[in-house]
Amino acid sequence: MQLAWGDEEIAFHDDLVAFLDEHTPREMGSGRDYADDGSGAYADDHEIIPEWSRRWQATLFDHGWMIPGYPPALGGRNATPVQTLVYLEEMARRRLPRSLHFPGYAIVAPSLLEYGTDEQKQLVPAAIRGDTVWCIGMSEPNAGSDLAGLQTRAVLDGDRFVINGQKVWTSYAQVAQKCCCYVRTDPDVPKHKGISLLILDMDTPGIDVRPLRHITGAAHFAEVFFTDVVVPRENLVGGLNDGWRLTQGSLAHERAGLWVEGVSRLEAQVESLVDLAQKRGLDHDSGVRRRIAAAYELASSLRALGYKGFASFAQGSSAPEHSYMKLATSEASKDLYELGMELQGAYGVVVDRDRGEEQGRWLNAFLMSFAGTIAGGSAEIQRNIIAQRVLGLPRS
Amino acid sequence: MDFAFTEEQVLLRDTARLMLANECPPSLVRAHIDDPSVADGLWTHLRDFAALGVGPCTDLAIFCEELGYVAAPGVFFATVALFIPFTFALGTGEAAAAIDGLETGTVALAGTNGEWVANADPVKAFVPEADRVDWIVVVDGGPEPRLGVFPQDAFEILPVQTVDFSRRLFEVRAREDTSAGGSWHSISPEDIRKHLERATVALAAEMVGTARRMTDMSVAYAKERYQFGVPIGSFQAIQHKLADVSLAVERAQSAVQYAAMAIDAGDPDRHRAVHTAKAAAGVAATTAARESEQTHGGIGFTWEHDLHLFIRRAYGAAYWMGTTDWHHDRLADLLFSS
Repeated sequence: MQLAWGDEEIAFHDDLVAFLDEHTPREMGSGRDYADDGSGAYADDHEIIPEWSRRWQATLFDHGWMIPGYPPALGGRNATPVQTLVYLEEMARRRLPRSLHFPGYAIVAPSLLEYGTDEQKQLVPAAIRGDTVWCIGMSEPNAGSDLAGLQTRAVLDGDRFVINGQKVWTSYAQVAQKCCCYVRTDPDVPKHKGISLLILDMDTPGIDVRPLRHITGAAHFAEVFFTDVVVPRENLVGGLNDGWRLTQGSLAHERAGLWVEGVSRLEAQVESLVDLAQKRGLDHDSGVRRRIAAAYELASSLRALGYKGFASFAQGSSAPEHSYMKLATSEASKDLYELGMELQGAYGVVVDRDRGEEQGRWLNAFLMSFAGTIAGGSAEIQRNIIAQRVLGLPRS
Repeated sequence: MDFAFTEEQVLLRDTARLMLANECPPSLVRAHIDDPSVADGLWTHLRDFAALGVGPCTDLAIFCEELGYVAAPGVFFATVALFIPFTFALGTGEAAAAIDGLETGTVALAGTNGEWVANADPVKAFVPEADRVDWIVVVDGGPEPRLGVFPQDAFEILPVQTVDFSRRLFEVRAREDTSAGGSWHSISPEDIRKHLERATVALAAEMVGTARRMTDMSVAYAKERYQFGVPIGSFQAIQHKLADVSLAVERAQSAVQYAAMAIDAGDPDRHRAVHTAKAAAGVAATTAARESEQTHGGIGFTWEHDLHLFIRRAYGAAYWMGTTDWHHDRLADLLFSS
């Protein structure tokens, strides 16, 4: 056990800081404010992937800071797992997203690297650099938590597939050039065994994208309809009917650091709550102080749990901490935005930018935070995973 | 930054676990309710680990977690987590004998209001195992704080009975002739705080162990108890309850380890980390206690079942050396002052 970073990590950190100080785009904001994470998630009216963010992602890639654990040809610098953790922490501390569209670099690229053909692997550098925007066709109107129940049908007809069906909650579909789409290729076998993964060009005839406004009013995801969409057989990723195991794909060597962003957001929320309580004259209210202290306790203990999980990951065990961290950070984040609303009294629900100092920021972030306990495995699914895979309780 | 246990730490944990499983079964904890002297046999094993009182806090925490797992009764915590750190720097010999496992001691610090802050109250309360140790250290928190090191029989000792039979607490009052046979030594407020922080982390580690024990018992019971033709552990209502308990325990364990590491490193974050650890352990221990009782249903409500031994230990510890609210208040003082 050791609290300090080693020399190798400190040198790595120095390089990163020098790079970020020189290259961080002005548009990224100043950093400390909880609501200013640069993702645009809390803004309700601007371009989904602005030009400056595309330049930023390309700059990261070209300097080997996009996915440090990858080799330079893939936007990295062969960083060790510990260096990768240092990187994720510094980026989170500065509230700096690498990219404003995660599917390409975080999900598509690692999946293609692991399961793709040589030709499909050629798509990876552009996916990581952000030159190609990807979306991922997973959820459907009747397949949410029960993803394996998806019904979008692809029929193999000679050397091509013909797709019919519908996806929903598809992030970035309205701006994507390509899509990794999960489809049913065999309806006559148990549901997990008849799924395949196909690469689609979004301009293929028969694809109809309808932007879907979410609860804050912005439209960052979409419904996607497929009518007799023809896809060449070579766009199949992995084996036919072998798509289910590909749904688990993510950046394997960053998996042990996925918690960093969630914990850092909680810590920033706690700092902002301290500021807000002081501004509102509630900093001597014992109830408010206790609630904020409890929030600090939660955030800080979760950071420790993240480090512990990372340590066991580095020793080669599959760390179950991800489900704990996802569950705890997403629920706590929602609670803390709501606490921020409560501290404003009647102004907590005011969105009028001319009234109230906070201009509805906490409310807007609160509404956005609903996604945290739904997307990417709901809170209920995370509890099922903990109960069954960690505690070993029987499946119902 | 490395949260992994060293090989020595894994060995310490496994040795403690094996020894305590053999030497401190629930039957001993139960027998201790009526006869505290049954803890003496356990002490003959525990005293081999008394040097943890002057070693790294991380090692002490690893050992204490295992003590909490079995709800170990006796003088270990009083001697090793409290008495040894407070007296070691004095160089007067009592600590050396305790480190060798030859003598035992306790610390009288909280006043009758129950708060674990140095105070000038002539009566000290919530003193652990005061009737069964060789030495009592009194912390006098006047304008010039000092430590009094006295033989145990210099005081009038009255039991303060709590929910927890496994940790015996007392009120300690000076006798008219108390000043004879003892010695007073000055101590800085910073040192008092330092020793208390170490003991608080050790207690939080114990609580994590107790919470982990109740979680293990509940998971095992949920697998073997059938209702409606299936194990109750297959119901989401039970699964989600135990997932939440498990999360509380995991994060408390991590908070304790971080606090111990921060203490060992002398890191400026250690004060906040200690309050965080005790508060997180308090949440874990009481949550695990309540939900374990609920998971066990009627059987957990009986005297015969061992669960209540751990529920008692959990609540006793959660309310001792600062409740969760108290530690949150201290944490708030630090957050709002910076």
